[in-house]
Amino acid sequence: MQRFLDPQVLAGISSLDLLAKTVVDGFVAGLHRSPDFGFSQEFAEYRAYVPGDDLRHVDWNLFARTERCYLKRYRGETNTQVTVLLDASNSMQYTSGPPTKMDYARFIAASLFYLAIHNQRDAAGLIVFDEDVREYIRPSTRPGQLARLFAALERAEPRATTDFAKPLRHFQNFLHRRGIVILISDFYEEPEKIVRSSAPLRFHGNEMVLLHILDPQEIRPELRGSALLVDLETDRRIEVIPEYAKTTYRAKIDTHIEELRSRAQGAGMDYQLLITSESLDRALRGYLSLRQAGN
Amino acid sequence: MGFLAPWFLGGLAALGVPVFVHLLRRHKATPRPVSSLMFFERGTQSSTRHRRLRYLVLFALRCALVLLVVLAFANPYIWKATADANFRLLLIVLDHSFSMRARTRFGDAKQKALALLAGKPHGQKAQIMSLGGQLEVRTAAITDDAPLRAALENIQPGDGHASFGELGQAMRSLAETEPGPIELHLFSDMQRTAMPSNLSEAVLPNNVELVLHPVADGPAPANWTVESVEAPATLSDPKDPKHSRVRAVIAGFGTPAATKAVSLVVNGKTIATRKIDVPAGGRATVEFAPLDVGYGFNRCEVRVESEDAFPADDTSVFAVRRSDPERVLFVHAADDARSALYFGSALSAATLGSFVLQSVAAEQTTDLDPTKYAFVVLSDAVTLPGIFEHTLGQYLAKGGRALIALGTSAGHHAQIPLWGGDVKDTHDYAREGGTVAVGQVDFSYPALDQARPGADNGGWGEVKVFYAAVPEPGQARVAARLSDATPLLLDKQVGEGHIVLLASGLENLTNDLPLHPIFVVFVDRMARYLSGDERLSGSKVVDSFAQLRGAAEPAGVAASVEVIDPDGHRPLSLNEARTMQSVRLERSGFYQIRFANGRDAVIGVNPDRHESNLEPLSKDVQDLWSGGSASSGTQPAGSAAVQVKARPVSLWWYVMLLALVVALAETALASGYLGTQREEA
Repeated sequence: MQRFLDPQVLAGISSLDLLAKTVVDGFVAGLHRSPDFGFSQEFAEYRAYVPGDDLRHVDWNLFARTERCYLKRYRGETNTQVTVLLDASNSMQYTSGPPTKMDYARFIAASLFYLAIHNQRDAAGLIVFDEDVREYIRPSTRPGQLARLFAALERAEPRATTDFAKPLRHFQNFLHRRGIVILISDFYEEPEKIVRSSAPLRFHGNEMVLLHILDPQEIRPELRGSALLVDLETDRRIEVIPEYAKTTYRAKIDTHIEELRSRAQGAGMDYQLLITSESLDRALRGYLSLRQAGN
Repeated sequence: MGFLAPWFLGGLAALGVPVFVHLLRRHKATPRPVSSLMFFERGTQSSTRHRRLRYLVLFALRCALVLLVVLAFANPYIWKATADANFRLLLIVLDHSFSMRARTRFGDAKQKALALLAGKPHGQKAQIMSLGGQLEVRTAAITDDAPLRAALENIQPGDGHASFGELGQAMRSLAETEPGPIELHLFSDMQRTAMPSNLSEAVLPNNVELVLHPVADGPAPANWTVESVEAPATLSDPKDPKHSRVRAVIAGFGTPAATKAVSLVVNGKTIATRKIDVPAGGRATVEFAPLDVGYGFNRCEVRVESEDAFPADDTSVFAVRRSDPERVLFVHAADDARSALYFGSALSAATLGSFVLQSVAAEQTTDLDPTKYAFVVLSDAVTLPGIFEHTLGQYLAKGGRALIALGTSAGHHAQIPLWGGDVKDTHDYAREGGTVAVGQVDFSYPALDQARPGADNGGWGEVKVFYAAVPEPGQARVAARLSDATPLLLDKQVGEGHIVLLASGLENLTNDLPLHPIFVVFVDRMARYLSGDERLSGSKVVDSFAQLRGAAEPAGVAASVEVIDPDGHRPLSLNEARTMQSVRLERSGFYQIRFANGRDAVIGVNPDRHESNLEPLSKDVQDLWSGGSASSGTQPAGSAAVQVKARPVSLWWYVMLLALVVALAETALASGYLGTQREEA
């Protein structure tokens, strides 16, 4: 099943529904965990009784054997809501080979939706944005929600430029309940500006995850001879020589990634760098770990 | 400026290659979409401009490389105004032959040569040579004046005989290696006797311009000299009137008739003086007899008392060694009385009584000691007493020498004593109805030595052989053969000694050799060879050679010789003293030599008497030799014409050097670019 997590294999699946199911089932099977994971009370720990504790939680069987009072504690279980903010700017259509960054982001989002709604029974919502909010689907667990989300993902074609401030401000207006906010983008913006725009969401008690989608050629570009580079968002052109791409550019992109990771973690956000040539399980594992921490 | 090979300029079309590569086929950047240009900033553009600049530099370098290589092949040149003399080799030849000692000739010649050298243009190459007994190269062709001047000043008057023929031959050899013109300045007394009889031998090659600087002006001065001296080299009996005498010829060159006093000086003491009348420009003979000298080597000289322009040639030196006659042991067969008679008579006549023959029959040799004899002759004595044969073998092993003549007895007794081989066969030509002559003679063999053997095979052509044995030659050297190829004279080394084997007899029964004049010469040479006495005294001419060791020295033995020249110096180094075969006698006077075999010798060395004739070459001959009008016989020293001419100077070497530099720069620049390309790939 692991091979179904390969982006190149997934690129051949046209249906997001099937794709998400394939990914999640494959991922879960890879965990060697029960599909019922998280849906019953789970034992967490024993704690010595202190005056004032609720006697209903005392483990009397243990008291009968040891004549000592211990409280049996269970892991609590709540439902949360997952909101995916998907960057659909023009830069997301870049690719050096299938899939495009946009497709990869779609795979991630679809898989998360499937995992949240079908497996975790969490409410899931979507905001597609570029320089403005293009589409908003309120988080819900109603029947048909998954289909609506997938349809919105299908419609999310890259266009225009990126502006993080406006959609995040807009999102605050819809935020009524704490949950998990997953921001999927290539983050071609100053790290400080990204974190500053995202921080208010964190202040509302949301768990914030930044999924940084990059193509391998964006991290280690290879030029054979000088090339005329065209910005997909601004259509600006510039001629670049191989030495620059090999040295200065790599240093700059590495610095950018590191700074973004550092600032995000400093602001209490989780950060994941996802390369479009890598499998999707890292993103799902990040979500689940965050889901468990939230419980 | 021009091009020596302008058709190579067609190669400039190759300039199209870098133009095509850099300009026409310029790299076009393909538009390539990227997510964002956020990380491509001004630095990128600057780098691109820098890169373009590098491409332009590379383009320029490649164009320059092609251009320079084409130019180098086209061989560009420039006209350079320069002194023509700089391209002529100034060759100064200073005559230091014996005749230059007359008056102030040598000093004058050297001063003129120095003055010429001082006027030499600074950049002109010059070379110094000296002409004496041989042409010596004193310096290489150089421009530095100091070593040239030092070489000139170091030339001292010598005792050799100059030869313009040798100069011409040397110039012809030099012209083959020196491509440019040569200006030969000869400072000499232009002695007539220095010019070879055949003028063509002195002809100089076309690129040699001869400038003569004669230092002997006017008519030749009168000069008397001791032209030749005839004296015994070895004297055993001073009272023998036939041998104990000195005969000298006094010659006058350009002299009037005069009465001259001639003295014989022995060991520095005048023992006799004679007055003789020398005719005008003629010769007169004077004789001193008897020659009473003491035992050992006596340094003698004949001196003519004259006050002429050239006193250095008024004496002639020679050495006389007085010793008791050496005994020669002549062993013959009992019935053979003729061979001793013939051999003894020839030996007495040839060696002026230096050897006394002791004739003994073979059967009577039992008690004889061969070491007491100069050498041993076995004439048809093929059967010897065992004791004597053993003693004789030891004598030979220690360096003794013997002559074995095989007579008719060899036909009855196959074994040849001491030879180490047998008689394989005998030829009795008389019974076969004829005789054979002597066919092949090796005149380089010491006992047969003749400088110029005539048409009669050096006198051996008339000799007829009636009977000859055929010995086993083994490792022996065959010095003479009969006309039927039968070896006649063989030489074999036995121990440190030698055996000379004559395949016929020493009497007139087996051949008629004793009846021919060549027999006396043969016995004389053979006696000197066998006794090792051939070069112990007498006189030689300057620049002749003295043999220091035999050609057949025992292997592994490197005995030293010792040579002391007339000045008391040892001209040979220690290494030369151990290895040299001969020494050149360069100075006049007495040389004292100790040979490798331990014998001593004193040799008187005299200058070539051709040097005493001071008559210069006629003006016509000088003009003819130096090229007629080109002759500068009266040209003052230092006036070598220096004409300023424009000369093409080729620049291809510099162009090629520059092309190499450009190629290196292009390689360094291009390898950086290509290295980047490879890394990307």
